[in-house]
Amino acid sequence: MIIDQKKIDEAVATIIDYGGHGIRRCVQCGACSAVCPGVRAGFPLLCRNLIRHLLNGQLEEIIEDASSWGCQACNRCTENCPRDVRPQEVVFAFRRYQANQLAFSTSSVTSQMNLFETGHAVYTDPREVRKMVGLPEVTPTSAFDDLAKIEIQTLISNSPMGELGLF
Amino acid sequence: MAKVGVYVCHCGSNIAGVIDVAAVRDFAATLPDVVVARKDLFMCSDSGQEMVKKDVRDGLVDRVVVAACTPRTHEPIFRAAIEKAGLNKYLFEMANIRDQGSWVHGHDHEGATEKAKKVVASAVGKARNLEPLEDKFVPVTDAALVIGGGIGGISAALELANMGHKTYLVEKRPSIGGVMAQLDKTFPTNDCSACILTPMMVEAYNHPNIETLTYAEVDDVSGYIGNFAVKIRQKQTYVDWSKCTGCGDCATKCPAKTPDEFNAGLSDRRAAFIMFPQAVPKKAVVDIEHCLNCAGREIGTLPKINEKTGRPILAPCERACPAEAINRSVAYNPAGTIKEVEVGSIVVATGYQVMDKGWFKEMAPASPNVITALQLERIISATGPTEGKLLRPSDKEKPHTITFVSCMGSRDENFHTYCSRFCCMYMIKQARLIKEKYPDMVINMHFIDVRTAGKGYDEYYTGARKMGINFFKGKVGGLEMLAGDKLRVLAYDMEAATGIEYESDLVVLATAVELPPDATALAQKLGLQFCGNHFFRELHPKLGPVETAVEGLFLAGCCQGPKDIPDTVAQAKGAAAAAAVPLAQGKVKIEPTISEVHSEVCSGCGICIPLCPYHAINMITFAERPRAQIEMSACKGCGVCTSACPSGAIVLHGYEEAQIFAQIEALTA
Repeated sequence: MIIDQKKIDEAVATIIDYGGHGIRRCVQCGACSAVCPGVRAGFPLLCRNLIRHLLNGQLEEIIEDASSWGCQACNRCTENCPRDVRPQEVVFAFRRYQANQLAFSTSSVTSQMNLFETGHAVYTDPREVRKMVGLPEVTPTSAFDDLAKIEIQTLISNSPMGELGLF
Repeated sequence: MAKVGVYVCHCGSNIAGVIDVAAVRDFAATLPDVVVARKDLFMCSDSGQEMVKKDVRDGLVDRVVVAACTPRTHEPIFRAAIEKAGLNKYLFEMANIRDQGSWVHGHDHEGATEKAKKVVASAVGKARNLEPLEDKFVPVTDAALVIGGGIGGISAALELANMGHKTYLVEKRPSIGGVMAQLDKTFPTNDCSACILTPMMVEAYNHPNIETLTYAEVDDVSGYIGNFAVKIRQKQTYVDWSKCTGCGDCATKCPAKTPDEFNAGLSDRRAAFIMFPQAVPKKAVVDIEHCLNCAGREIGTLPKINEKTGRPILAPCERACPAEAINRSVAYNPAGTIKEVEVGSIVVATGYQVMDKGWFKEMAPASPNVITALQLERIISATGPTEGKLLRPSDKEKPHTITFVSCMGSRDENFHTYCSRFCCMYMIKQARLIKEKYPDMVINMHFIDVRTAGKGYDEYYTGARKMGINFFKGKVGGLEMLAGDKLRVLAYDMEAATGIEYESDLVVLATAVELPPDATALAQKLGLQFCGNHFFRELHPKLGPVETAVEGLFLAGCCQGPKDIPDTVAQAKGAAAAAAVPLAQGKVKIEPTISEVHSEVCSGCGICIPLCPYHAINMITFAERPRAQIEMSACKGCGVCTSACPSGAIVLHGYEEAQIFAQIEALTA
């Protein structure tokens, strides 16, 4: 790795711009990664290590890495951080950056399409199973409510997500 | 008529790089009463000073103005120079054309030069009106007070006493020794803490120049350097210490239990107790807050009489005492007694406390097997609750895996942002002591960084690695309580960039060093200030590390900031040396630039009295009427009284009306 101050400043400014305001406060203690379920599951670039790469100016080098989508938003890193970095916000800032560059995994595209079409990020058709156990087939949620779907689609289309041009 | 000499300094390029020094010199020569105006590359150099001295010796000048840097650093040099040449040293005035001139106006050379001329004119205006003044001296009480009987206080007291000064050593607990008395062994040499501390405790206690007052606290301090009046409250022990032999029989019979502070709460002590086996003085105390008043023996009441035997029914502690030192019929004053002493200087060495584990909710504080490092120190100490056997608190079983967690509450925005400095080393020490004794023990140490700055310290750390102790870079994120009193450790290995998860039998937290809460009240009594980290503030972080803003008051040890034993002892000896200066001199100099009341003009209105921030003004009777009088050793020359006096009766020497008005006139000309 070459230390390039311009790249470092750019990476930090980008993350701060997307909401990761605390990134410069990080002292690399690792308390966030110690409790991160994503790190435990084997995602290499979350919390401490993601911040390290960003502070090294490796924004472009890691843009295709899917680790950030492994963040479960449990917020334990932020609760634990002794320097008020708010690591989850850094992870989310990086995610927003990735999304704006259309650099995200197919799995996350699917969930966003689901959200747009049904109002549920994770969606499977429930009708058959519900019928089997004797429940009404249709659930009282947006998935079976056309008016609600239109409302959700209007909201998404008018949000930064809509600007990605996925839908 | 005054003969003023003006000397303008280049200060290399510091001043001359911005200000036209020759122009300032030429301007000065035109000012009234100025007889010579010269310039030099460095006025503070030997040749610069000699230039001034020669003019004084030749009778050319009798008032001196140096236009250079700040009087804070250089006024004493020039005052000394003219005094040596035979002129009263207060016939000197400094014009600061560097700090308030060239340094702040580097962008505007012309403007800076004009400003320098005005500043010089103002100084000359004042110098023309200067009057000679004489230094005054007040005698000093040749005695010192050391507050705190830990290793810092003991070291300072011994140093002062060995220099021949009477020293009062005040300790709030029943015994001196402080935190060091609770430690098992000390890094980096592993010598037994008690073995090196106890002889010093005994030496201090028996020293002919030291009067040790334990179970005592400073109640009130008044006065100033050289003459402090101190009220020391000796707390009520409810035991006659002149009779107590320290046998401890009272403690074995006392049924009242309370957590033992000396064992960091890991065991109970009795209400009647001796602090620890090597206590100095080894005397018992009845902790009345936890006393059960057995047999209805409230303090100061007569005992009931046994109807059958006709003998009085006594409390177990009274019955147990073979020296008859405990007599609950005596009407002891619960407030204790006040001892008043006079001292010339004071050393504050009140020490620290470690944070409680309860602050760290993510670290399973409810588990008895999560302990602080000070608690582990007691567990591995021969005088501790397990007599030195490594047994975990929950089931008194020997642990197989021990985890050390660093930086609990240190380097943390939520608690303390500073590094507690000695935790890394004592954790390594504890790990080494355990590994030496139990080579099969799995010891995992988790650090943000290992900080081992100190003589022989890094070798001690690398030695621990060679012994097979496991080191991980990365802060522990949390603990979870598991069945069987075990703990799941959620950690991280930064070097391998991977999470770590394992089960541990005992987890040791290196909790942060901080001031105990009662330090605030003491600071108010002494006029001590706090630094940003809420330790006592020293006068200067580099050049005044033992002095404080209060003259005659000095700091030693962890009350000034976290430090280990060698640093504490070094600072304590430094504080003792500084505290001995006024005692050795026998007098303290009072600068004559202080206020004085002209009694014949004073109307006795008393407005000045509440305004004085140093409580230096009293009412006296003069010509049968009340008049204000200023205590010269307490006055700091701030001038508040002078400006407030409606009668114009108070003069601030060195800043008299004519002098100030001459300055204003020159600046506004």
